[in-house]
Amino acid sequence: MKVRVKAFARFREILGSDLSIDLPDGAVMATALSALRDIAGDESGIIFDEDGALRAHVILMRNGKRVKRSDLDTLVLADGDEVAIFPPVAGG
Amino acid sequence: MISITRDVIDAGAMIEAAKRPGMGALVTFCGAVRDDGGIERIELEAYEEVAVRELEKIRDEAMREFPIESVDIVHRIGSLFVGETILLVIVGAGHRKEAFAASEFIIDRLKQTVPIWKKEFYRDGERWVPGEAGGQG
Repeated sequence: MKVRVKAFARFREILGSDLSIDLPDGAVMATALSALRDIAGDESGIIFDEDGALRAHVILMRNGKRVKRSDLDTLVLADGDEVAIFPPVAGG
Repeated sequence: MISITRDVIDAGAMIEAAKRPGMGALVTFCGAVRDDGGIERIELEAYEEVAVRELEKIRDEAMREFPIESVDIVHRIGSLFVGETILLVIVGAGHRKEAFAASEFIIDRLKQTVPIWKKEFYRDGERWVPGEAGGQG
Protein backbone atom coordinates (compact mmCIF):
# COMPACT_ATOMS: atom_id res chain seq x y z
CA MET A 1 0.00 0.00 0.00
CA LYS A 2 1.03 3.61 -0.49
CA VAL A 3 1.14 6.26 2.20
CA ARG A 4 1.68 9.93 1.38
CA VAL A 5 4.14 11.81 3.56
CA LYS A 6 4.16 15.57 3.93
CA ALA A 7 7.17 17.06 5.67
CA PHE A 8 7.56 20.72 6.52
CA ALA A 9 10.25 23.31 7.26
CA ARG A 10 13.64 21.74 8.11
CA PHE A 11 12.14 18.26 7.79
CA ARG A 12 10.95 19.04 4.24
CA GLU A 13 14.52 19.90 3.30
CA ILE A 14 15.61 16.51 4.60
CA LEU A 15 12.76 14.28 3.41
CA GLY A 16 11.28 16.13 0.44
CA SER A 17 7.98 18.00 0.33
CA ASP A 18 5.57 15.37 -0.86
CA LEU A 19 6.68 11.79 -1.00
CA SER A 20 4.93 8.47 -1.23
CA ILE A 21 6.22 5.41 0.59
CA ASP A 22 5.37 1.77 -0.09
CA LEU A 23 4.52 -0.22 3.01
CA PRO A 24 3.24 -3.76 3.54
CA ASP A 25 -0.52 -4.01 4.15
CA GLY A 26 -1.31 -3.64 7.84
CA ALA A 27 1.83 -1.62 8.56
CA VAL A 28 1.77 0.52 11.69
CA MET A 29 3.00 4.09 12.09
CA ALA A 30 6.33 2.89 13.51
CA THR A 31 7.00 1.06 10.21
CA ALA A 32 6.42 4.27 8.27
CA LEU A 33 8.80 6.12 10.59
CA SER A 34 11.46 3.50 10.04
CA ALA A 35 11.15 4.06 6.27
CA LEU A 36 11.45 7.82 6.81
CA ARG A 37 14.56 7.31 8.89
CA ASP A 38 16.14 5.47 5.97
CA ILE A 39 15.16 8.26 3.56
CA ALA A 40 16.64 10.89 5.90
CA GLY A 41 19.97 9.04 5.84
CA ASP A 42 22.83 11.07 7.28
CA GLU A 43 20.45 13.77 8.49
CA SER A 44 18.09 11.43 10.34
CA GLY A 45 19.60 12.61 13.64
CA ILE A 46 17.63 15.85 13.33
CA ILE A 47 14.34 13.91 13.49
CA PHE A 48 15.27 10.68 15.31
CA ASP A 49 17.50 9.92 18.27
CA GLU A 50 20.31 7.33 18.33
CA ASP A 51 17.82 4.54 19.11
CA GLY A 52 15.59 5.46 16.18
CA ALA A 53 12.87 7.03 18.33
CA LEU A 54 11.30 10.32 17.29
CA ARG A 55 12.91 13.28 19.02
CA ALA A 56 10.67 14.87 21.66
CA HIS A 57 9.85 18.03 19.71
CA VAL A 58 8.75 16.26 16.51
CA ILE A 59 5.04 16.51 15.70
CA LEU A 60 3.38 13.70 13.80
CA MET A 61 -0.07 13.65 12.21
CA ARG A 62 -2.14 11.10 10.37
CA ASN A 63 -4.82 12.52 8.08
CA GLY A 64 -4.58 15.88 9.84
CA LYS A 65 -4.88 14.52 13.39
CA ARG A 66 -2.02 14.45 15.85
CA VAL A 67 -0.58 11.01 16.63
CA LYS A 68 0.42 10.24 20.22
CA ARG A 69 3.77 8.66 20.96
CA SER A 70 1.99 5.82 22.76
CA ASP A 71 0.13 4.88 19.54
CA LEU A 72 3.11 4.50 17.20
CA ASP A 73 3.28 0.71 17.49
CA THR A 74 -0.47 0.09 17.33
CA LEU A 75 -1.80 2.66 14.85
CA VAL A 76 -2.44 0.68 11.64
CA LEU A 77 -2.12 2.72 8.47
CA ALA A 78 -4.37 2.37 5.43
CA ASP A 79 -3.66 2.77 1.73
CA GLY A 80 -3.89 6.47 0.81
CA ASP A 81 -3.33 7.77 4.34
CA GLU A 82 -1.50 11.07 4.69
CA VAL A 83 1.24 11.24 7.32
CA ALA A 84 2.64 14.66 8.21
CA ILE A 85 5.85 15.23 10.13
CA PHE A 86 7.15 18.60 11.25
CA PRO A 87 9.08 20.58 13.88
CA PRO A 88 7.44 22.97 16.38
CA VAL A 89 5.39 25.68 14.69
CA ALA A 90 6.58 29.28 14.26
CA GLY A 91 3.83 31.28 12.60
CA GLY A 92 2.54 34.76 13.40
CA MET B 1 -12.69 35.55 7.00
CA ILE B 2 -10.10 32.93 7.86
CA SER B 3 -7.41 32.31 5.26
CA ILE B 4 -3.84 31.48 4.34
CA THR B 5 -2.77 33.54 1.35
CA ARG B 6 0.17 34.21 -0.96
CA ASP B 7 -1.21 37.66 -1.79
CA VAL B 8 -0.38 41.01 -0.18
CA ILE B 9 -2.69 41.67 2.79
CA ASP B 10 -4.72 44.88 2.50
CA ALA B 11 -5.36 45.83 6.14
CA GLY B 12 -7.58 48.83 5.35
CA ALA B 13 -9.89 46.83 3.10
CA MET B 14 -10.15 44.03 5.65
CA ILE B 15 -11.04 46.41 8.48
CA GLU B 16 -13.75 48.06 6.38
CA ALA B 17 -15.14 44.66 5.41
CA ALA B 18 -15.24 43.54 9.06
CA LYS B 19 -17.30 46.52 10.30
CA ARG B 20 -20.86 45.95 11.54
CA PRO B 21 -23.27 48.52 13.00
CA GLY B 22 -22.96 47.14 16.56
CA MET B 23 -19.18 47.39 16.66
CA GLY B 24 -17.59 50.28 18.49
CA ALA B 25 -14.14 48.71 18.39
CA LEU B 26 -12.14 46.81 15.79
CA VAL B 27 -8.86 45.84 17.40
CA THR B 28 -6.36 44.99 14.68
CA PHE B 29 -3.08 43.16 15.12
CA CYS B 30 -0.67 43.41 12.23
CA GLY B 31 2.45 41.24 12.37
CA ALA B 32 5.25 42.38 10.04
CA VAL B 33 8.67 41.14 8.94
CA ARG B 34 11.22 42.70 11.32
CA ASP B 35 14.80 43.44 10.36
CA ASP B 36 16.45 41.36 13.06
CA GLY B 37 20.08 42.09 12.42
CA GLY B 38 20.48 41.88 8.68
CA ILE B 39 17.45 39.90 7.54
CA GLU B 40 16.81 40.43 3.84
CA ARG B 41 13.63 38.37 3.52
CA ILE B 42 11.78 35.47 5.07
CA GLU B 43 9.99 32.48 3.65
CA LEU B 44 6.84 31.17 5.25
CA GLU B 45 5.31 27.79 4.65
CA ALA B 46 2.17 26.13 6.02
CA TYR B 47 0.46 22.78 6.24
CA GLU B 48 -2.43 24.59 4.67
CA GLU B 49 -5.46 22.35 5.26
CA VAL B 50 -4.56 21.84 8.91
CA ALA B 51 -3.55 25.48 9.41
CA VAL B 52 -6.91 26.76 8.16
CA ARG B 53 -8.78 24.29 10.35
CA GLU B 54 -6.69 25.30 13.35
CA LEU B 55 -7.33 29.01 12.71
CA GLU B 56 -11.08 28.27 12.52
CA LYS B 57 -10.87 26.47 15.85
CA ILE B 58 -9.11 29.47 17.43
CA ARG B 59 -11.75 31.83 16.02
CA ASP B 60 -14.57 29.65 17.36
CA GLU B 61 -12.95 29.44 20.77
CA ALA B 62 -12.43 33.23 20.92
CA MET B 63 -16.08 33.78 19.96
CA ARG B 64 -17.16 31.47 22.80
CA GLU B 65 -14.81 32.89 25.42
CA PHE B 66 -15.17 36.63 24.80
CA PRO B 67 -18.22 38.86 24.21
CA ILE B 68 -17.10 39.84 20.70
CA GLU B 69 -18.89 39.99 17.35
CA SER B 70 -16.33 38.88 14.80
CA VAL B 71 -12.88 37.46 14.21
CA ASP B 72 -10.95 37.68 10.94
CA ILE B 73 -7.51 36.12 10.53
CA VAL B 74 -5.37 36.17 7.40
CA HIS B 75 -1.86 34.68 7.44
CA ARG B 76 0.50 35.11 4.54
CA ILE B 77 2.91 32.48 3.22
CA GLY B 78 5.61 32.61 0.54
CA SER B 79 8.53 35.03 0.27
CA LEU B 80 8.25 38.31 2.19
CA PHE B 81 10.55 41.32 2.59
CA VAL B 82 11.20 43.45 5.69
CA GLY B 83 8.13 45.55 6.48
CA GLU B 84 5.61 43.33 4.73
CA THR B 85 2.55 42.11 6.62
CA ILE B 86 2.72 38.48 7.73
CA LEU B 87 -0.47 38.31 9.73
CA LEU B 88 -3.61 40.35 10.26
CA VAL B 89 -6.06 39.65 13.07
CA ILE B 90 -9.19 41.78 13.37
CA VAL B 91 -11.51 41.42 16.35
CA GLY B 92 -14.77 43.33 16.18
CA ALA B 93 -16.71 44.02 19.38
CA GLY B 94 -19.06 46.48 20.99
CA HIS B 95 -16.27 47.76 23.24
CA ARG B 96 -12.50 47.82 23.15
CA LYS B 97 -11.58 45.88 26.30
CA GLU B 98 -12.96 42.54 25.20
CA ALA B 99 -11.60 43.10 21.69
CA PHE B 100 -8.07 43.67 23.03
CA ALA B 101 -8.28 40.61 25.27
CA ALA B 102 -9.59 38.36 22.48
CA SER B 103 -6.93 39.65 20.09
CA GLU B 104 -4.13 38.71 22.48
CA PHE B 105 -5.69 35.28 23.09
CA ILE B 106 -5.88 34.63 19.34
CA ILE B 107 -2.28 35.59 18.62
CA ASP B 108 -0.91 33.59 21.55
CA ARG B 109 -2.83 30.49 20.44
CA LEU B 110 -1.86 30.96 16.82
CA LYS B 111 1.82 30.92 17.70
CA GLN B 112 1.38 27.69 19.66
CA THR B 113 -0.82 25.58 17.44
CA VAL B 114 -1.04 26.64 13.78
CA PRO B 115 1.34 24.67 11.53
CA ILE B 116 3.25 27.51 9.89
CA TRP B 117 7.03 27.93 9.79
CA LYS B 118 9.41 30.69 8.78
CA LYS B 119 12.93 30.76 7.50
CA GLU B 120 15.05 33.89 7.70
CA PHE B 121 17.49 34.79 4.94
CA TYR B 122 20.51 36.93 5.76
CA ARG B 123 23.19 38.25 3.44
CA ASP B 124 25.47 35.44 4.57
CA GLY B 125 23.19 32.63 5.61
CA GLU B 126 19.77 31.37 6.54
CA ARG B 127 18.00 29.82 9.53
CA TRP B 128 14.67 28.32 10.50
CA VAL B 129 13.00 30.29 13.27
CA PRO B 130 12.75 28.00 16.31
CA GLY B 131 9.12 27.16 17.00
CA GLU B 132 6.94 26.68 20.01
CA ALA B 133 6.46 23.09 21.07
CA GLY B 134 2.77 23.58 21.81
CA GLY B 135 0.27 20.86 20.99
CA GLN B 136 -1.90 20.72 17.88
CA GLY B 137 -5.11 18.81 17.58
